[in-house]
Amino acid sequence: MKASYNWIKEYTGVNAPREEYQHRMIMAGTAVETMEPMLPFTGVVIGRVITCEKHENSDHLHICQVDVGGENPLQIVCGAPNVSAGQLVPTAVVGAKLPGLTIKRGKIRGVESEGMLCSSVELMIPTDLYPSVGDAGLLILNEDYPVGMDFKAALGLDDEIIDFDILADRPDCLSIWGVARETAAVFDTAFKAPRDMDITTGDAIHQLAKVTIKNPDLCPRYTAKVVKNLRLGPSPLWMRARLHAAGIRAINNIVDITNYVMLETGHPMHAFDLGQVRGNHIIVREAEPGEQLTTLDGKKHHLLGGELLICDEQGPTGLAGIMGGLESEITENTRELLFECAAFDRTLTRVVSRRLGIRTESSGRFERGVNPATVKQAMARACALIELLDAGDVVPGIIDHYPNPVTQKTLTTSVSRIKHRSGADIDGQEMVSLLTRLDFKAELDGDTLLVTPPLHRSDIEQEADVCEEVLRLAGYDRIPETLMRGETTQGKDSAARLMKRDVHQVLNSQGFDEIINLSFIAQKQLDAMGLPAEDERNTPIRITNPLGEDTAVMRTSLVPDMLRTLAKNLNQRNETALLYELGTVYFHEPKTDDGLFSERSALCLGAYGEQVNFYFVRDTLLALLKKAHITWDIQPGGELYHHPGRCARILVEGEAIATVGEVHPKIAEQADIKPGCVIAEFDLEAYAKLRKPFDAVTPLPRTPAVLRDLALVVKKEQDLLPVLQEILRAGGKLLEDVQLFDVFEGTQVGEGKKSAAFSLTLRHPEKTLEEEEINRVIEKVKKNLNQAFQAEIRT
Amino acid sequence: MDKNLEIAALISRAEQDIKNAASVKDLDALRVCLLGKKGELTGMLRSMGSLTPQERPAFGQLINQARDEIEGFLSTREGTLKEKELAERLEQERIDVTLPTQLPRLGTPHPHTLVLNEVIDCFVGLGFEVVEGPEIELDKYNFELLNIPKNHPARDAQDTFYIDENIVLRTHTSPVQARVMLERKPPIRIICPGRVYRADEVDATHSPVFHQIEGLVIDKDVTMADLRGTLGAFARQLYGDNIKTRFRPSYFPFTEPSAEVDLTCIVCKGAGCRVCKDSGWIEVLGAGMVNPKVLEDCGIDSSVYSGFAFGVGVERITMLRYGISDMRWLYEGDERFLRQFS
Repeated sequence: MKASYNWIKEYTGVNAPREEYQHRMIMAGTAVETMEPMLPFTGVVIGRVITCEKHENSDHLHICQVDVGGENPLQIVCGAPNVSAGQLVPTAVVGAKLPGLTIKRGKIRGVESEGMLCSSVELMIPTDLYPSVGDAGLLILNEDYPVGMDFKAALGLDDEIIDFDILADRPDCLSIWGVARETAAVFDTAFKAPRDMDITTGDAIHQLAKVTIKNPDLCPRYTAKVVKNLRLGPSPLWMRARLHAAGIRAINNIVDITNYVMLETGHPMHAFDLGQVRGNHIIVREAEPGEQLTTLDGKKHHLLGGELLICDEQGPTGLAGIMGGLESEITENTRELLFECAAFDRTLTRVVSRRLGIRTESSGRFERGVNPATVKQAMARACALIELLDAGDVVPGIIDHYPNPVTQKTLTTSVSRIKHRSGADIDGQEMVSLLTRLDFKAELDGDTLLVTPPLHRSDIEQEADVCEEVLRLAGYDRIPETLMRGETTQGKDSAARLMKRDVHQVLNSQGFDEIINLSFIAQKQLDAMGLPAEDERNTPIRITNPLGEDTAVMRTSLVPDMLRTLAKNLNQRNETALLYELGTVYFHEPKTDDGLFSERSALCLGAYGEQVNFYFVRDTLLALLKKAHITWDIQPGGELYHHPGRCARILVEGEAIATVGEVHPKIAEQADIKPGCVIAEFDLEAYAKLRKPFDAVTPLPRTPAVLRDLALVVKKEQDLLPVLQEILRAGGKLLEDVQLFDVFEGTQVGEGKKSAAFSLTLRHPEKTLEEEEINRVIEKVKKNLNQAFQAEIRT
Repeated sequence: MDKNLEIAALISRAEQDIKNAASVKDLDALRVCLLGKKGELTGMLRSMGSLTPQERPAFGQLINQARDEIEGFLSTREGTLKEKELAERLEQERIDVTLPTQLPRLGTPHPHTLVLNEVIDCFVGLGFEVVEGPEIELDKYNFELLNIPKNHPARDAQDTFYIDENIVLRTHTSPVQARVMLERKPPIRIICPGRVYRADEVDATHSPVFHQIEGLVIDKDVTMADLRGTLGAFARQLYGDNIKTRFRPSYFPFTEPSAEVDLTCIVCKGAGCRVCKDSGWIEVLGAGMVNPKVLEDCGIDSSVYSGFAFGVGVERITMLRYGISDMRWLYEGDERFLRQFS
């Protein structure tokens, strides 16, 4: 909310410099975003053009002698077409600073010039703030001001604009009165409200207008006043200046008064042309389904029913609290007006305003809450301004529908509890004095503190609220730093996170870097994976209001964005990328007890680079299993997005825990990555369940091991893990370990064949093995291999 | 007498020859020549037969002394030569220790994970337990139980993604706190890290997906000073011992009193700079005393228990910690960025 500092000063007597004001308000809970001069120039004074003669070397320039209050007039060359002797004009003297311009002494076409006569555009003064010809010429002042006086001071425009960021629980501060009250409390001065006017006496109004409220629940208060003999005209400069500070255009005295009152009191007001209110009868009621209404902005709305309408006896004339109707707008022909100042339901205002897409200053305020208790004060202020500006004659008497007046509530609070909650050392006496500064009534009786907040503070409902008021005014700096006391609790990280820490450790040790992608992706990314039709990953959870189609569904796989990240790295010409993401994937089923979705932890690896191949990534996954003391099996075959001959499933207890493979060339092309990139998915949910604790080491053997090499020739297509597993099976208890150490193909092993060499470690736990025992094991192995794989044994 | 002179000559010649020996191999040859079975000294011993029995003991002694002496020369020379040969070998084995090579590649957790772990370790040390919860959450837990009813203006500040009327992508990790308050009895000291969602377009300081850590303490006699002390400990852990906290009044529906928490600007140490807009402070956390209404709604007696809660954006503290000026770097997965952390 933007507000004039002068306006606040008027009601508080506070005159703190900018930095101090800003700091003290912020530290007491009223955030000041910025504080800047209303008009961004200096060094402009009131000047009178004494003489104005044509410049000899120019067809449009004039040489003026300008009196700026000094001993001698200034000679200023001026190019404005409307300059003439006798005028009072804003004059920028040497050294003046205007937006983007500093005034210097100079020569214009050979003639000395000591300043500049200004137009409204150069001074950034719009025509609604001060009437002028705009950029067509000088800003000519219509009133008399002392020559030489600072321009801004002379016109009362020497103001600062404060941009407040008002907290959601303080709708009362969306007004000058609100922030002035805060200012007075913070600086410990008194808030001086403008003189109240008696608007209730008399009953003449009842002959002129009638108001019926059909839904008092949605319109807790409605006041109306009538003004006759309307004298429409411009409002005075001081009023226009304050509207300007708040970013509101001046229109005419009546519209300006409604806006001025809204800014000052926080109460939106509406002025009806009473002559256009049929039957002189205002009816507040809910809309019927299918009703139509044209608002002030000329837009026609079809209503669903339930919207709150302001109607006359023929039909709707406005949307309550949101926007008035076109027909009852104030025009030059308006003779009598009806002022409305009311309170409307915040929720309904919000819902209707969103549904119809109309956001106004008024609807914004009703949504945040307008206090029914202070409605009449705002109406009184409007009537006082009508009189002050002599804009019409206020008709005696008021219509005030207020069936359930808000009453002042007294809260019984405890000094010790407030003190305890705050942690700050503030005693009861100080609490009373702090609360009094905020216009609260506070009475101390031992530990009991009876607190009655003023009517404008509808946010104060409980002791905790009182605590905050006391504390913020005393200063949050008074809260000391202490550590918690009481029963100690055992701190612990979650099992899921501890598992992930292990995963990070293994992957980082292999050179993999973690990435983080967003949780949502595009449906087309999933479609591009070429998954089987019935795969649950094809049907993700959709967001009803996504930012765009590219982020419209919750990811069911980490692969699509991993492919994208690999492509980005390739595009940056990064030679190697070893990446992993530990993230959540989201599925419709199975539902939780709350009826919520299935959220599963997943791990995805993606890699390319000179050192990277299928085996490197596969073995990284196996290292994860080994770290968790899980045994595995490997089978050929993976996902459809993998190269069919270069992908594998890693199985634990017969179930796949991971798939790994080179990206299918077709998918690689679509994803703009080069062939040979390896991608793997790893099921962290299964991993969490299968992990075995490691808590017992095997004692070191005391007997010697015997090493034997075994070379054999098998068919070229023969996978070697089953061969190794067979060796282990055949070797029995004495065979401690088997390692494959060489594989080769060539003419010496024969067409369609390959040779594989294994190193076998044999050991007896209690004695040195004898040659005969060793040979028995080796023979058994050879025999089984021959039977299972038709292996020829070379050694 | 001749024999005696002969021995003396032999010793002096042997000394000279041994001194001149160029290698351990030469020395071994000399040893054989001098002391071997067919060596000179052995030859002299054999010639003892030509001496009288009275002369023999003295001569034998001389021979023995000569042997000792020569062996002494040999062993000294051998030591010197071995040293020299080792030195030569070592010299030959010299490698270029400055040779530029490829470093072993260590991977790194995301900077985000690094900071998160540090923060969590700090709070675990203070007796907090880590609790996680669903990201796709019921409106009830995300808003209503936190004193944010439907159509409350506070919902405007958190533009929400909806799955349906009652299910949202959580806008903060506070619903985890609501769940814990409903399930457990105080004392409660929990910390809830996780992904949260707000309908913001991606730019240098916003992302529709980001991460929060929120903490909750509920016990008897919890004060706002405890909140300040706890957050002070956290700030010092993350940014160093000289970091101070500053509380400013604020508003959150689920806390009362509420505070924005500033830390001493970590860039300028409080002197004023571009990052802190010359204030010397940077806004990092939101915090406050749990609103008694929230406690009551979650079945906790607010006349007996009080508590505090706080929340911090992980991206924000990560960016401050490492001087990251654009949030998008965190989500791009560019190796040139990530490799800097390993």
